[in-house]
Amino acid sequence: MELTDEIRIASPRDVVYRALNDPDILMECIPGCEELTQKSPNELEAKVVLKIGPVKARFAGEVTLDTANAPNGFSLMGEGKGGAAGFAKGGADVSLTEEGDETVLKYTAKVDVGGKIAQLGSRLIAGTAKKLSAKFFTRFGEIVSEQSAA
Amino acid sequence: MTDQTLTPEERAANLKGMGCARKRVEDVRFTQGKGNYVDDIKLDGMLFGDFVRSPYAHARVVSVNKEAALALPGVIAVLTAEDLSPLGLHWMPTLAGDKQMVLADGKVLFQGQEVAYVVAEDRYVAADAVELVEVEYEELPVITDPFESLKSDVVLREDLEGQTEGAHGPRKHHNHIFTWEQGDKDATESVLAEADVVAEEMIYYHRTHPCPLETCGCVASMDKVTGKLTLYGTFQAPHAIRTVVSLISGLAEHNIRVISPDIGGGFGNKVGAYAGYVCSVVASIVTGKPVKWVEDRMENLMSTAFARDYWMQGKIAATKDGKITGLWCHTTADHGGFDACADPTKFPAGFMNICTGSYDIPTAYLAVDGVYTNKAPGGVAYRCSFRVTEAAYFIERMIEVLAIKLNMDAAELRRINFIRKDQFPYQSALGWEYDSGDYHTAWDKALKAVNYEGLRAEQAQRIADFKAGKTRKLLGIGLTHFTEIVGAGPVKNCDILGLGMFDSCEIRIHPTGSAIARLGTISQGQGHATTFAQIIASEIGLPADDITLEEGDTDTAPYGLGTYGSRSTPVAGAATAMAARKIRAKAQMIAAYLLEVHDNDVEWDVDRFAVKGAPERFKTMKEIAFAAYNQAIPGLEPGLEAVSYYDPPNMTYPFGAYICVMEIDVDTGEWEVRQFYALDDCGTRINPMIIEGQVHGGVTEALAIAMGQEIAYDDMGNVKTGTLMDFFLPTAWETPNYTTDHTVTPSPHHPIGAKGVGESPNVGGVPAFSNAVHDAFRHFGLVQSHMPHDHWRIWKIANGLGMHG
Repeated sequence: MELTDEIRIASPRDVVYRALNDPDILMECIPGCEELTQKSPNELEAKVVLKIGPVKARFAGEVTLDTANAPNGFSLMGEGKGGAAGFAKGGADVSLTEEGDETVLKYTAKVDVGGKIAQLGSRLIAGTAKKLSAKFFTRFGEIVSEQSAA
Repeated sequence: MTDQTLTPEERAANLKGMGCARKRVEDVRFTQGKGNYVDDIKLDGMLFGDFVRSPYAHARVVSVNKEAALALPGVIAVLTAEDLSPLGLHWMPTLAGDKQMVLADGKVLFQGQEVAYVVAEDRYVAADAVELVEVEYEELPVITDPFESLKSDVVLREDLEGQTEGAHGPRKHHNHIFTWEQGDKDATESVLAEADVVAEEMIYYHRTHPCPLETCGCVASMDKVTGKLTLYGTFQAPHAIRTVVSLISGLAEHNIRVISPDIGGGFGNKVGAYAGYVCSVVASIVTGKPVKWVEDRMENLMSTAFARDYWMQGKIAATKDGKITGLWCHTTADHGGFDACADPTKFPAGFMNICTGSYDIPTAYLAVDGVYTNKAPGGVAYRCSFRVTEAAYFIERMIEVLAIKLNMDAAELRRINFIRKDQFPYQSALGWEYDSGDYHTAWDKALKAVNYEGLRAEQAQRIADFKAGKTRKLLGIGLTHFTEIVGAGPVKNCDILGLGMFDSCEIRIHPTGSAIARLGTISQGQGHATTFAQIIASEIGLPADDITLEEGDTDTAPYGLGTYGSRSTPVAGAATAMAARKIRAKAQMIAAYLLEVHDNDVEWDVDRFAVKGAPERFKTMKEIAFAAYNQAIPGLEPGLEAVSYYDPPNMTYPFGAYICVMEIDVDTGEWEVRQFYALDDCGTRINPMIIEGQVHGGVTEALAIAMGQEIAYDDMGNVKTGTLMDFFLPTAWETPNYTTDHTVTPSPHHPIGAKGVGESPNVGGVPAFSNAVHDAFRHFGLVQSHMPHDHWRIWKIANGLGMHG
């Protein structure tokens, strides 16, 4: 499953970049996130409760960041395991472009899901994934804009 | 003598015997919610089992942590392979001579494989506990394609590594299971080399699933005081299950009682032995309490036996005027992670060698390679006799492909190649002796019934209209003439794990002239209680309404191999007639004694024995039954009962002609069945109404398979069709009207001439629907497009042929 989207955030690029690396902000933006720990500058651990159709499960995930391209963007690879509900793994490329006072965030994510969540049919998963990522970026945009306004 | 005034015909009608459209006696309870299915069984103190299943299609199981699950109140136990291995029960034998993990032993080979078994006091607690079992997996490369599997370095079955000999001969590769060859390879290849015309095509019959409305399940109840295990379950073969449980568990067979209560459809899905049965038995033995396990729909679709998944590469040779001279087939059979096919042992690809179909093909060769992949095990006969559906689909597609190559009408091509009536019994090139048939009569009747010439004229007009831009709908005429091989089978060549495939019937006549009959089979909706009583009624002259039928309890029913492969009527039905005839033979002696004449001086007359030449002097079966118990007859034991174990001399060969007329919208891929005509010849017809119901149900399942139903996997081995949202199960909305018809060519070797019909409509229906789709596009260049023909795939055909402008 591939997801791509583009959002515009009313903040400078370096602010957006910092926010994307701030565990507290991420935890607030990720829907259903219960825990988020930074294990090292490039490694995060998270516990997220996800509901996809009739399947609700707590996913334990690990994410590794590749920041070689900072602050123009970064890549991440991750894997989440939800026990009986299944698992998800994948990666994303995020690019940040400055346009005036604003930053355009583009992302392309490729996610493979397995187990019960995969069996529910891709239409359900794709829809849910889109909804969740929209939620994430909407909230992220709000927080970052608020911060740079403040 | 109250019925002295009735004619013999009237007396026969009163019996409601063979030929009577008797209403199903089972339906009295089924239509009132009074059926008794496995999930209706509730025993005191009963516990519930549920499985932790693998989300991965191929992975190592690094660890299983039960602690959190065991800490949940109400959880009694969590079983893993480690717990079962001291008992030797972490693996079990399959019906195909392979072995299968009961619970994951170090690795998993398909998504949904059983990893741990949770036992709890409550079904909901069990489900909650499943989520608490922490399993650590290490992913391995996934193979979902059998051709790739045979080339891959990845070893799926590490337990078999280095074994070059399997249950069915040499293994050519570590993911190869067997090669099964029939016919004459060299002769067939030289026929192909010298033929005027050879058509070649890959015919894929996709993976699907029987999907019975009731899923698989059981209740195991070990009585520690008596040492007796009672196992209730959705078993299509209860006696075989008892024997297998005894062999696997070491419990003495007399201490095991297997009961198949009412079963909500089987279609082959309930033939095999599943991990759920083994784990429930172990859990009951360990806890001393009854344990129930019933799978849910997703579990049923992704883990218990699938059907088909045959890649059939075909070559068919013919003279330029259309006489078929040879047939060659190489099949690559995807068996999934374990070989758990349910076939007679000597037939690892079932009766695929019936693939010469209804045609007189002098030379043929078939090879089948079984292959392991990371998919669920199974390969059962989904409403068909052991791969007969695959065989029929293959030949009926190859005939169409040949017709295109020859530029011939497919109906005419069939007609000139049919085995003629005077050729029966017919020895086929691939080793079968067809018992009887009259294909030309059936075919001509079918073509006439649908006005075949008229349909072709209409189709020609439609093509012209389409090309002129006047319509966007095509007309497809799907033809099929199928020959089945059912009634497995003669013990000389048919056994499962060494258990001979005879069947049985025991009849006990009560003193007042009613009766109970018990059979080794088990109805899953076929209406055995109705039809078998009719056989007895006609054979011994007691009303069918006065005869009780009982099946499925191994403590009371005689041993038999169960119900699948359309074997009940050909085998147990024959046993029923033979047992009834034994009773009639004794009744004749009793009647002669009562009438004070010699045994040879009485003759059978519908429901009585009468003195030859003096029909007014007779004894009815009711009178004879009373005398059998209550009158001292010199030289005869009291009582009137008999049992027959019937070993059939041959299979039976039902056949039929099906024609489907379909409208297809090239822009949306939507289809509509305008007409479906099904002519079946199942030999002697026991109950025409039940036959019609069987045909309706079977054609509807065929419609599902051909037009949308599939078990599809993605590259990661995820089952993409694990719910009824994605797995097509037709409702009344999608189901068209059917016209049924028949001819009658009795089986010469069956006591009543019956051949079996339950599976014919699936065998004949699938190619009829598929051929209709192909036929619609034939004139636009389509030769072969794989099933299922859902709207999207039909749209893709049209798109690929450039029909979207």
